[in-house]
Amino acid sequence: MNVRKFRPNNRLSTLIKQKGGVLAQDAIAAAERGVESLRESSLAALDQTLAEIDRRFGKDALGRQAETFDALYLLGSRIIDVGAFVSDSGVDKAAVSLCTLADDCAETGAWRWDAVDVHLNALRLLRSVGASLPADQREAMLEGLYQVSHFHRPEEA
Amino acid sequence: MTDALLPSTRINLERATVLVLDDNGASLDILSQVVSGFGVKQLHRAESVADAQSLIRTKTFDLVISDVQMPVTDGIEFIEWLRKEGGETNRYIPVILVTGHTRTSQVYKLRDAGANYVVAKPITPKVLLERIFWVAREERAFIECEAYIGPDRRFKHEGPPPGTDGRRKDDLPAEVGEAQTPNMTDDEIANMMRPAKVQV
Repeated sequence: MNVRKFRPNNRLSTLIKQKGGVLAQDAIAAAERGVESLRESSLAALDQTLAEIDRRFGKDALGRQAETFDALYLLGSRIIDVGAFVSDSGVDKAAVSLCTLADDCAETGAWRWDAVDVHLNALRLLRSVGASLPADQREAMLEGLYQVSHFHRPEEA
Repeated sequence: MTDALLPSTRINLERATVLVLDDNGASLDILSQVVSGFGVKQLHRAESVADAQSLIRTKTFDLVISDVQMPVTDGIEFIEWLRKEGGETNRYIPVILVTGHTRTSQVYKLRDAGANYVVAKPITPKVLLERIFWVAREERAFIECEAYIGPDRRFKHEGPPPGTDGRRKDDLPAEVGEAQTPNMTDDEIANMMRPAKVQV
């Protein structure tokens, strides 16, 4: 196999060292302020995603058997995307568990609806009262979700 | 090894041209706000791989930050395309992938995509700036062959896996050979560790 090994010019390396600029701590603070300005719209997007998951994959969704594993996975990913705003509630970790579950279903080619229902119930509960739950209760709930989503992955348990 | 990013480190990204790609509008907004906060003035946003490819064909970038999980064409396929067909001005630029979850089937694909770094979502400004600083300062060689185009994935130089001879000419065996010089005395070691004033 013909392998070429070389060191290409890294323009970013030259630019980042140029005179002027800002201190890293100020850049981080400015970025954090910018992110904070998106809190309201991000939480609105989060609630829309949760509603869509319920509508398409909830217990009462008539067409959920026809949905794809990918669709649930991508919706779960969207919750993680804005998860920094709800990290105190555990919603972000529950969404990671939902993605693991959707991925596991995709790997095996079969839905585990009981597990999906458990995750959707937990997401609803965590979104509404997760931040005010005692930490040990919240962690116990997340640990339960982890066990459910990793049910088919004994090597990772 | 690159230096760590300290709060007092001065960075200048004002003239850097950055592409951020994410299909989720809320996530793209967060990513854009973070990168703008770092002082980037030339920020280009793309909500699909097709949009990102159009931008790559017409502009020269200094950094790409891309989501992984996207419908139709994902971030892994985009980076593979960039490394092969991104044009000479963009093929070798640093790439940071961001992902909230990695599918079992994508673990190896992610490793082999040709990205410089993978950052977990939800992103925080501190972590992303550390990674940008890292990719700007790293001195990794670039590898281009039939099966892979991207930064050298073996950059820690920890030697070949145990029990193998390695594939590189400069691979050293894991076993340590006989000492070639006498052991240092306790005093010599203590002297090396002793704090001393220095003139700067």
